[in-house]
Amino acid sequence: MGAHISIPMYQRAVKQRYRLVGLKCLKCGKINFPPKAGCKYCGNFDQFEEAQLSGKGKVYSYTIIAGAGAPPEFSEEAAYRRFYPVVLVELDEGPRIVAQLVDVEKDQVEIGMPVELVIRRIYTEEDVIRYGYKFRPKKD
Amino acid sequence: MRRVAIVGAGQTPYGEFPTLGVKELFAWAFKDMLHSVDKGIDPREIQLAYIGSLSAGSGFQLGQLAALLMGHVGLPHVPAIRVENACASGGFALYSAICAVASGKCDIALAGGIEKMRDVSSTKTKYWLGISGDTEFERLAGLTFAGIYALVASRYMHEFGLTREQLAKVAVKNHRHGAMNPKAQFRREITLEMAVAGAPVAYPLNIWDCCPTTDGAAVVLLCSEERAREFTDHPVYIIGYGAGTDYLAVQDRDCITSFKAARMAAQEAYKQAGVKPEDIDFAEVHDCFTIAEVVAYYDLGFCEKGEAGRLLDEEATSLGGRIPVNVSGGLKSKGHPIGATGCGQAYEVFNQLRGQAKNPERQIKNAEIGLSHNVGGSGGTATVFIYRREG
Repeated sequence: MGAHISIPMYQRAVKQRYRLVGLKCLKCGKINFPPKAGCKYCGNFDQFEEAQLSGKGKVYSYTIIAGAGAPPEFSEEAAYRRFYPVVLVELDEGPRIVAQLVDVEKDQVEIGMPVELVIRRIYTEEDVIRYGYKFRPKKD
Repeated sequence: MRRVAIVGAGQTPYGEFPTLGVKELFAWAFKDMLHSVDKGIDPREIQLAYIGSLSAGSGFQLGQLAALLMGHVGLPHVPAIRVENACASGGFALYSAICAVASGKCDIALAGGIEKMRDVSSTKTKYWLGISGDTEFERLAGLTFAGIYALVASRYMHEFGLTREQLAKVAVKNHRHGAMNPKAQFRREITLEMAVAGAPVAYPLNIWDCCPTTDGAAVVLLCSEERAREFTDHPVYIIGYGAGTDYLAVQDRDCITSFKAARMAAQEAYKQAGVKPEDIDFAEVHDCFTIAEVVAYYDLGFCEKGEAGRLLDEEATSLGGRIPVNVSGGLKSKGHPIGATGCGQAYEVFNQLRGQAKNPERQIKNAEIGLSHNVGGSGGTATVFIYRREG
């Protein structure tokens, strides 16, 4: 029994989950990700334009989820990988976002490490594979 | 605004009660509260009730829980409101009831909280407990609250040099305290070696950093100052009460090593009470994970930013220390029946201030001012209360 994110609900955020599109506030110039109705930085309510984030940033904090710490919809993944890292990343453009970190050994994860976005399988619900963003160590 | 007193408080023991449902647990805490009113009270005097609960047993009763419970204790016609703010549901029920009495809307109000968590599968529990954050984003990163608090812990360790051992000291201390509390779920001491080496849950947190799931209920009876003496000569006044909220997702916050919602609640409560952190004799704080207690020390003004580890090394927050924290055992050892926790903290403070901690070895001597701190999720919501014994 997992958290229920319906297909329509997932679909409404495809721009964010597949392409990392944020909302740039035209009043203060900062980018809100995920988009907000009121700008997090200045409170402006109605002057925004879409802004593409680069997906590049640095690890601000991290955790290594072990079996007992995984939500039910990720327990299978936790079982066969034994663990998976989750990182809070500070993007070059400012916003912080949380996602899994892949292509890495658990003792290699550290605060400050440069990472970049990849689109990977997140999980499966209602028999539909859900793709979305994860991070991997930045390749030179 | 009028002054508001607590004139009675009750709590079930926290733990696992296979034979009791939400109605029976609530009735137990309610009865315990009635017995605590020194001069007695006719329950029909209660004019309004706020009851905190997240899930009422993983959602079997989604709506109108408060009225259901009040009906079960023979008070079907007391206007009853269910309050939900995740793990701070009980604190917000208490906050709402205090405001109702303070405003003059009523003289006598009940604040309660309840959760029935043990008779559902661990899978269902993880489902329920992980969807009070910003579900669409935090949950889909593969996080439950253990993982979110682990992000807080990693950053705290990075910024301030907090050690794994210092985190474990929170668990060891609270288990030592809980072992003395007859109503605690885990009345068992643990060693530092055990606490450091527990099974991993979400690095840097292991199983000993996490509070348990718990069945339990707690009830607090509030009364206006004008009528308090009808019920007791030893009321406990709530001299300051504050609430705060924040973005639910840690990714949306500038700072994750301190919770702004809790700081806001604390500032409001201190200002109203006219006291400072150094005036607080003891505190019940929200230690759902060991790191949460570490974060709370600064948010409540018990130490400078990043200095929590030193407080633990000096045993300043242990029973007998400068500012004992969680003498009840805290969420960690006393247990954390989500909706009940905020009111259960008030129950502990009420009894400590009145010299009724039951077990003399856990009674704080001559305490005059206590504080409680209840946090929803990973800092999305928070309440802080400051209490003073009078008479």
